[in-house]
Amino acid sequence: MNTDAHERARKLVALDGPDEVSGSDQVASNAWLRAHLETCDACRAFAGNAAETIRGLRAISLVAGRGLVSTTQTRVRRRALELQRHRERLWLVAVSCTAVTLCALLSTAALWRGFEWLGTRAHLAPSVWQVGFLVFCGMPAVVAGVLLLAKDTHLADHAGSYQG
Amino acid sequence: MNATAFYFESSMTQETTEIARGLRRRDPDLLDRLIEQYQHRLFRYLVHLTGRRELAEDLFQETWIRVLERGHQFNDKYAFSTWLFAVARNLAIDHMRRKQPASLDGLLNDGETPFDVPATGRASAFDMTVQREQTEQIAAGMQHLPAEYREALTLRFQEGMSLEEIASVVRVPLGTVKSRIYRGLSALEPWLKGMPS
Repeated sequence: MNTDAHERARKLVALDGPDEVSGSDQVASNAWLRAHLETCDACRAFAGNAAETIRGLRAISLVAGRGLVSTTQTRVRRRALELQRHRERLWLVAVSCTAVTLCALLSTAALWRGFEWLGTRAHLAPSVWQVGFLVFCGMPAVVAGVLLLAKDTHLADHAGSYQG
Repeated sequence: MNATAFYFESSMTQETTEIARGLRRRDPDLLDRLIEQYQHRLFRYLVHLTGRRELAEDLFQETWIRVLERGHQFNDKYAFSTWLFAVARNLAIDHMRRKQPASLDGLLNDGETPFDVPATGRASAFDMTVQREQTEQIAAGMQHLPAEYREALTLRFQEGMSLEEIASVVRVPLGTVKSRIYRGLSALEPWLKGMPS
């Protein structure tokens, strides 16, 4: 009997059979293993030891403590609550952004009409009232930008002294 | 396939689908139930994987937080336990990487045995003593095995996973799983005989 046969037998024993091979191969492998173990003392001893080892492995008891489980459940619930609140905040931000966008679109359309009407009444060239419209629309952003840039600078201190 | 097998398979599939749905909703009641259901299996796996009870307890909690946060990634085509063990394994590896740039090699024994060996039932006092001694020896032997072997043996013989399931948890080819189980079992043989090298 060659070394490969022993190696094969031991691997079949170690892998505990069932899904090492499948279908008809499995039946043939099991029959081959049984026949081999009947004739080979060393492999039979290995099989006996393997069975004992597997039994021993299954007998090792490891139990999660009750405290660990309840602590985990509490932590998971708290985290679930945090995630839910976060999701709700995100939802609120998304709704606000949508509302602001819609309002901006509506007011821009109305402003455009307004500037057009004023330009016509004042007999201005279309390019003039259109530039005026752009300046008017862009002004809040420009002012905010300037204020942000000027924060903690001489300009901001100066502006503050006027208010104070 | 017979009717009983079909019944069990379809109820398992239904259960997995419900778990996937609940995880997408981040249902805390479902998570409570899953923690109860898988507490011992997951804890046992983590203790065998890390070799340290305290670390296993930390990772146990982190695993469930991760399950909550990444629950939407669970694919109901696979068993929940397979995904759960993979999540736990990744966390254990991340933990070791933070400590040292290694994979499972860092998860070695520190001399402490984190196992309790229970008395086995329905046997004579002598048999029980012998079995208990053998189990203690195997538990001690497990602590001296490389983490990869410990992990493969635990998943195979304690969790009863198929070779394919183990391969998908550990993310190695099937041949490597077979080899680890065979080598791990062979390495435990001297411990069974009480003659560790």
